[in-house]
Amino acid sequence: MQTFLQYTILGLALGGAYFIAASGLVVTYTTSGIFNFAQGAIAMLAVFTYWQFRWGWGWPAPLALLMVLGILAPLLGAVLYQVVMKNLRGTSEVTKIIVSIGVMLGLQALATWVWNPTSSTPRQFQKFFGPNAFAHFGSLRVPWHIIISFIIAIAIAVGIRFLFVRTRSGVAMRAVVDDPELLQLNGGRPERLAMISWAGGSFLAALAGILIQPMIGSAMSAGALTLLVIDAFAAAMFGRLRSLPRTFMGALIIALTTTYVVAYFPSKWTWSSSFRNSLPMIFLFIILLVLPQDRLRGATVLRLRERFRMPSIRTAWIAGLTMMIVVFCLKVIMAKTGVNTLTLALTFAIIALSLVLLTGFAGEINLAALSFGAIAVMVVYHFGISGTGTEARTTLWGILLAAVVTALVGALIALPALRLRGLYLALATMAFGVFISRMVLTERTEREIFGLKFTLFPTGQLSIPRPKIGPIDFNGGDAFLLLCAGLFVVIGIGMVYLRHSGYGRRLTAMKDSPAASATLGMSVVRLKLSIFMMSAAIAGIGGVMMAAQVGTVNSDRFDIFLSLALAMITVVGGIGYVSGALFAGIFLIAFIEALNLMLKKFAVDYSSLEAIFMFFISAVTVLPATIGITMGKNPSGAVSDIVEGMNKVKQSKPLMITVIGLEAAIWALTATEVITNWHFVILTFANLILVPIVGGKFLMARAMRGVPKPVPPELIGIDRPFTDEDLAAMDQALNLDGVVIPSSTTLREEPANASA
Amino acid sequence: MSEVHYHEDHGAVDGAPLVELVDVRAAYGTIEVLHGVNLSVPQGSVVALLGPNGAGKSTILKVISGLLPPTSGEVRLAGRMVNGASADQLARIGLCTIPEGRGVFPNLSVRENLWMATMAGVPLAQVEETAYARFPRLGERRKQLAGTLSGGEQQMLSMARALSVNPSVLLLDELSMGLAPLVVANLYEIVAQVSQEGVSILVSEQFARTVLGIAQYAAIVLHGNITRVGTPAELEDELSAAYLGS
Ligand SMILES: Nc1ncnc2c1ncn2[C@@H]1O[C@H](COP(=O)(O)OP(=O)(O)OP(=O)(O)O)[C@@H](O)[C@H]1O
Ligand SMILES: [Mg+2]
Repeated sequence: MQTFLQYTILGLALGGAYFIAASGLVVTYTTSGIFNFAQGAIAMLAVFTYWQFRWGWGWPAPLALLMVLGILAPLLGAVLYQVVMKNLRGTSEVTKIIVSIGVMLGLQALATWVWNPTSSTPRQFQKFFGPNAFAHFGSLRVPWHIIISFIIAIAIAVGIRFLFVRTRSGVAMRAVVDDPELLQLNGGRPERLAMISWAGGSFLAALAGILIQPMIGSAMSAGALTLLVIDAFAAAMFGRLRSLPRTFMGALIIALTTTYVVAYFPSKWTWSSSFRNSLPMIFLFIILLVLPQDRLRGATVLRLRERFRMPSIRTAWIAGLTMMIVVFCLKVIMAKTGVNTLTLALTFAIIALSLVLLTGFAGEINLAALSFGAIAVMVVYHFGISGTGTEARTTLWGILLAAVVTALVGALIALPALRLRGLYLALATMAFGVFISRMVLTERTEREIFGLKFTLFPTGQLSIPRPKIGPIDFNGGDAFLLLCAGLFVVIGIGMVYLRHSGYGRRLTAMKDSPAASATLGMSVVRLKLSIFMMSAAIAGIGGVMMAAQVGTVNSDRFDIFLSLALAMITVVGGIGYVSGALFAGIFLIAFIEALNLMLKKFAVDYSSLEAIFMFFISAVTVLPATIGITMGKNPSGAVSDIVEGMNKVKQSKPLMITVIGLEAAIWALTATEVITNWHFVILTFANLILVPIVGGKFLMARAMRGVPKPVPPELIGIDRPFTDEDLAAMDQALNLDGVVIPSSTTLREEPANASA
Repeated sequence: MSEVHYHEDHGAVDGAPLVELVDVRAAYGTIEVLHGVNLSVPQGSVVALLGPNGAGKSTILKVISGLLPPTSGEVRLAGRMVNGASADQLARIGLCTIPEGRGVFPNLSVRENLWMATMAGVPLAQVEETAYARFPRLGERRKQLAGTLSGGEQQMLSMARALSVNPSVLLLDELSMGLAPLVVANLYEIVAQVSQEGVSILVSEQFARTVLGIAQYAAIVLHGNITRVGTPAELEDELSAAYLGS
C-alpha cells in the first residue's frame, strides 16, 4: 500500500509536468497551426541553462528561475516565432514539420556544443528545496518538489483555460487559427498574438523541463531530455491538440502507467525498462488508432508556396545516365576513403528516395526512415546471408524478403495514421522510430517463441556482408559503389515512370484535393497506404545497402535523430525531386564529412589558429539544422534553385559546351594527378554553380528575354494569368466543346435552392 | 497608428468622397490584377461593384481594406492617404470589411465572434445588444459554434458585426453568395438602412438586380479596370453586355 501511494503521487506529479509541456504544444499549435517538435529541445535547453546558473555559477534558485523562466525562455519563443515560424504561413504541413524539427536538432546540437556531455563529470540536478525536503502525511513522506509540481500543473491548467475562454486575447488566439485575415479585418493583430503564444509555449516547455529533470533523477543528457518531452506529444494527442482537460487526463494516464510499470514489473525481466521507456510511444499509437477520421476538406483550396515539377521521362533517363558516368569518372580519381564516403552517401540517398516518393506523391512524411532500414537489416541478418566468414554474402532473396517485410511493417504503422492529417503520420512514424531504438535495437537476450529461439540484436552489433546477385559479386568497393549508384538511378527513374502513370496522376489528384478524389470514387487511404508501403520498402533496401557498406552496424546507425536529420535535409534539397534525395545523401554524409576533414586538417596545419578551427568544427554540427530552419524562406528546396540555374545552361548551347568542356578538363587534370582532389572539388563547385550564374547574367540576358517558359497546366493562373487559349484548351480537354453554358446572369438571378 | 499617412491638402471635407482610389494598380505575386482603378464612394452612399467572375472586384476591396498593398496609386480614406496602413489599423479607425464567403470564425461561438468585433473599440455589451436586437435568431444561439450555423445565419452574424461596430465605411463582398433570394433581399434592406445612417458602403456583387435597387452608383469592373461608372438607370445596357460578354 505504501509503495502504491508513493508511486501514485510520483505518477501524478510526473503527469502534471507532462501536462505542462503538452499544454505548451497546444497553445502554440492553436495560434500558429505549427506543431512544435522543438518543444522538448526547448525544455532541454532550459534545464541546462538553469543548471548553469544554479549549480554551475551558484546563483540562488529564485534568481535562476526568474532568469530562465521569466526572461530567457519566453524570449527564445518570441524570437523563434519572429525569425522562423512566421515565415511558414502558406507552406505545406511537411515544411512546417521539417522546420520545427530543424529547430529541435539545432538546439540540441547547440546544447551538446556548449555543455559537452563527455567532457566533465555527469551533471546532477536537484529537487527544489534540496533532495531531503519532505512533507509528511502520516507515515508517508513526499518530497516537496513533487507536491509543488502537481500544484503548478493544476494552476497552469486553470490559468490556460481561463485565458482561452474568459479573456479577449485568449479567444483571439483561437480566432487566429480559424482565420488570421478575418481577425485582422476585425482589428486584431494576429502576428502579435502568435508571437505571445510562442513565448508562452516556450515558457511552459522550460517549466516542464525543470520540473521533470529531478524526478527522473539521472544525469542530464541532451538527447534523452529532448526525447523525454516527446512523451508529452502523446498527452497532447490525447486531447487532439485542442482540449486541455483531455490533455491533462492523457498526461496523467501516461505518467501513472509508466510509474506503475517501474514499480511492479519484475526487474529481472530484461525488457521491463525498455518497455517503460517506450510506453508513451505505445500510447501515442493507441491514441492514433482511436482518433476519429478527419473530415475531408476540399472546399478551401490552399495555395501552397511549394512548387514541384516532375521531370519528363526523357530527362530522367538523361539524368540517370549522366549520374552513372559521373560516378564512374569520380571512382577513377578518388582514393579508397573517398569511394567509401561516396558509397555511404549514395546509400543514404536511396533511403532519402523513399521520402521523396512518400512526400512528393502523397504529401505525407516519414520521420523514421532509418528505423525501417533497421527492420530490413535485421531480416537480412537472420534470413538473407549465405556463406560464412569472408565468404559471407547477402543474397538477392534476402534483400527482397527484407523489402517485403519492411513494407508490411510500414503498412501496420501507417494504417491508423493515414486516415488523419499528415502531422499524425509524422508523429506515428516518429513514435515507431523511438520505439525501435528503445525496444527492439536494445534486444540482446535470446527469446523463445513457439520453440523458435532467436536474438533480435545479438551483442548490439550486426554484420551485414556485401551482396552477391546471381553470378556478380559486389564485394569490392568499386563494384559496390556502382551497384548503389545503379540502384539509385533505377529507383529514381522508376519513380518518374510511376509519376507519369495513371496511378501517379491519381495520387497527385488526391494530394491536391482529397475530398474531390473521394467523390470520384477513389479510396484515399488505400492509395496512400500503397505509396507508404513502397516507400518503406525502398527505405529498407537503402538501409541494407547502408549496413553492407558500413559492414558492422550498431543501433546508433539507426538513431531517430539521424532519421530526422535525413528527412530535414531531403526537404531542404527539394522533397519533390529525385535529385533532392541525392542532395540529402551527399550533403549529410559526404559534404559534412569533407568539411570536417578539411577543418581538422587546417587545425593541424595552422596550430596557432586551432581554436578558431575547432569552433568551426563545432559549428558544422549545427549547420544542417540551420539550413533546415531556413526552409520557411524557400519551401521548394535548394534543388529547385539549382535547377533554375541549370535551365539557363540547358537553354544555351555555348554555355553548356563551356561547362562540360571545363569539367572534362578539370577531371583530366585530376586523373593525371596534376591537381589534387581538393582542387577538383573546389573547381567543380565553381564550374557548376558559378559559371551558369555568371554566364547566365552576362551572356544570356539578351537571349533569354522574351522566351517564356512553358507553364504546366496546374500552375496556370498562379504563375501567369489565364488566356483565352488556355480556356479553349481546357474546354477541349474536358470535352466541353460545343456544350452551351447558360450565361452567368441567368444562373445567378435564379439560384434554385442554393445553400452555403 | 504611426504608419497612417496624412495627406497634406486633403482634409476631410464635407461631401468629399469617403473612400477614393486614384490610379490604383495591384498584383498577386507578379501578375497584375488591377490596372489603374479610379473610384470614389461619396459619404453616406451605396456604390455597387459589378462584373463577371475574376474581374477584380474582390481585389479592389482587399486593397481598400489593407489586406493587399497596391503596387502604385493612392488609396484615400476621408482624404487621408492610407496606402501603408495594415488591415487591423484601418479596422480600428472605422473601416469594416465583410470578406467573401467567410465572415465568421467557425470554431468560436456566436458570442465569441461578436467579442472579436469589439477590437474596433465598441464594448461587448453594446455589440451584443445591437446584434441580437437586429437578428434575434443569433440571440437564441449565442453559445453555438459559428461553423455550425446555417449559411444565412452565418451571414447574419457577419452583418451583425458590421452593424454594431459603428463603422464609417462598410465594404461588403458578395453578401449573396449561396443564399436564397429572400434572405438576400432581407440583408440588402438592412444595408440600405445602414447607409441612411450616414455610413458609406461599397458592395461587390454578382446578384446585380437586388443591389441596384439600393445603390446610388454602380461601377462596372472588367479585366481589372473600371469601365463605366453611373447611376443604376444609366447602366442597364452596359450591364447585360458585361455579363453576356457580347
Ligand atoms: N490570392 C490570389 N493569388 C493569385 N491570384 C489571385 C488571388 N486572388 C485572386 N486572384 C486572381 O485575381 C483575379 C481577380 O480576382 P478577384 O477575386 O478580384 O475577382 P472577383 O471579381 O472578385 O471575382 P468573383 O466574382 O468570382 O468573386 C482573378 O484572375 C484571380 O484568379
Ligand atoms: Mg470576388
